[in-house]
Amino acid sequence: INKNAEASLDLRHPVPLYLPVRTKKRYFIPPAVGLKGKREENTEAKARAAGIVFRQQYFERPINIACTAGIFDPYIPPEGDARLSTLSKEGLKQRTEQIRQSAGSQLAIRKIKEHDSQFTTKGFAERAQEIFIEAHNALTQFNKEKLHSLVTERCYPEMTRGNRYKTIRWRFVESLEPPRVVHARCPDMVTKGNLYGQVTVRMHSKQTLAIYDRFGRLMMGSEEQPKDVLEYLVIERHLVNPYGLWRLHGKIVPSWAPAKDPVIKTVMIPGPELKPGQEFEALHYEVPKPEAVQWNK
Amino acid sequence: MATAMTGRGMAFIRNIPGMLSSRLQVLGGGPQQLSCLHTSTSLESKDWERRNRKVFPPQLPDDIRRPAEIHHSRRQIKYSKDKMWYLAKMIRGMSIDEAIAQLEFNDKKGAKIMKEVLEEAQEMAVKNHNVEYRSNLYVAESYSGKGKYLKRIRYHGRGMFGIMDKVYCHYFVKLVEGSPPKTEEKTGFDQAKEYVQNLKNRTIIHSL
Repeated sequence: INKNAEASLDLRHPVPLYLPVRTKKRYFIPPAVGLKGKREENTEAKARAAGIVFRQQYFERPINIACTAGIFDPYIPPEGDARLSTLSKEGLKQRTEQIRQSAGSQLAIRKIKEHDSQFTTKGFAERAQEIFIEAHNALTQFNKEKLHSLVTERCYPEMTRGNRYKTIRWRFVESLEPPRVVHARCPDMVTKGNLYGQVTVRMHSKQTLAIYDRFGRLMMGSEEQPKDVLEYLVIERHLVNPYGLWRLHGKIVPSWAPAKDPVIKTVMIPGPELKPGQEFEALHYEVPKPEAVQWNK
Repeated sequence: MATAMTGRGMAFIRNIPGMLSSRLQVLGGGPQQLSCLHTSTSLESKDWERRNRKVFPPQLPDDIRRPAEIHHSRRQIKYSKDKMWYLAKMIRGMSIDEAIAQLEFNDKKGAKIMKEVLEEAQEMAVKNHNVEYRSNLYVAESYSGKGKYLKRIRYHGRGMFGIMDKVYCHYFVKLVEGSPPKTEEKTGFDQAKEYVQNLKNRTIIHSL
């Protein structure tokens, strides 16, 4: 009140007429519990009423399918394929039978030659082996871009599942037999003209494989001991696309294939279901073996 | 330094931390020795989970087999970090079966959560990290940390209030493959002998 009197009297240094009385300073204002934002239900209607026009929203996205989902009409490799050498009579018979028999393959090869004029079975088989070796080398280095250009999208997750924290060492020692084209098909996806070419190549070679887990301990295989491997690779290309590449699409594992080496680890398998009071008899229990079926890898 | 103060004001004041840190680096010989400098970690860094992604180079067949290490954690457990510490300290150094057994029959709330964490970690170890026997693990490290607290008002009389913290904690475990290491138990007599020996070793250096 004193100050107000001064203010009215002294005009040279004007002082504000009203001074706020200080309240107790709040050092902490806690966040209000239960404060949720107001849910506006009709924002769209309000915007439209105000005159804002929305363009039609498309919830679709164009997808580019560059590979098929599986192997159409898989090649069924005859039994005893690797055991008979080409020089014996039976071996020669089998060889001649195979490639002449399948008329479907001949048709498919003719179709492929329409789109790709430089396609030959011999040259292609060697090219297939090169693709295989390069793809596996890229897998050991985890070179994703190179691997994507050598391997189709369907095959990529099969090759790389669970391998992210593991070190793989693979070496191609030598090829025991020259690779041969055994089977070809040209399926079309969705529309009629959308052609994909799938060619099966048979190769017999020596390879070494060693997989180390996250801590550098050997999980499977060995680095020095090479193994003879008979494989049926499926190579695919989107024929209609002029920039399409021949890429590894999958492997066919025949039903008569020998069992692979066991992992360096003891694994627990679920036992038989027991009723309460029943005991597990280890002597009479046989481990169930899987069926011998051809499957695509 | 006092005499070098120029009158450029704000720009100079902004440069002071830079000058200080450069000086400290020169004096201290490296940022690791000084604990007053903050390095890297922000509030959302999940370092513990990232330790599971480290890949070691392959071992030669002659080397000693490297034991597998599995890091696991659970975040924002509704429990106090101090109360959790007691359980974490109890577990340290036990084999995993023993630890799970002890936690199962412990009455605290954190024991149930800890048991779940250990079981999860054991399953992870067998499935993803190539551990052969699931009971061949022991607890190498286990500790609790403070999580993010929620703040509420606690009303007192006379219009006074207190800030109530709703307490959360994190729990971290590291399981290592192998049997738990044996700690040598020192008897009282050994400790007394050591003490006497330390007294006897006292000398005067740089004497004439």
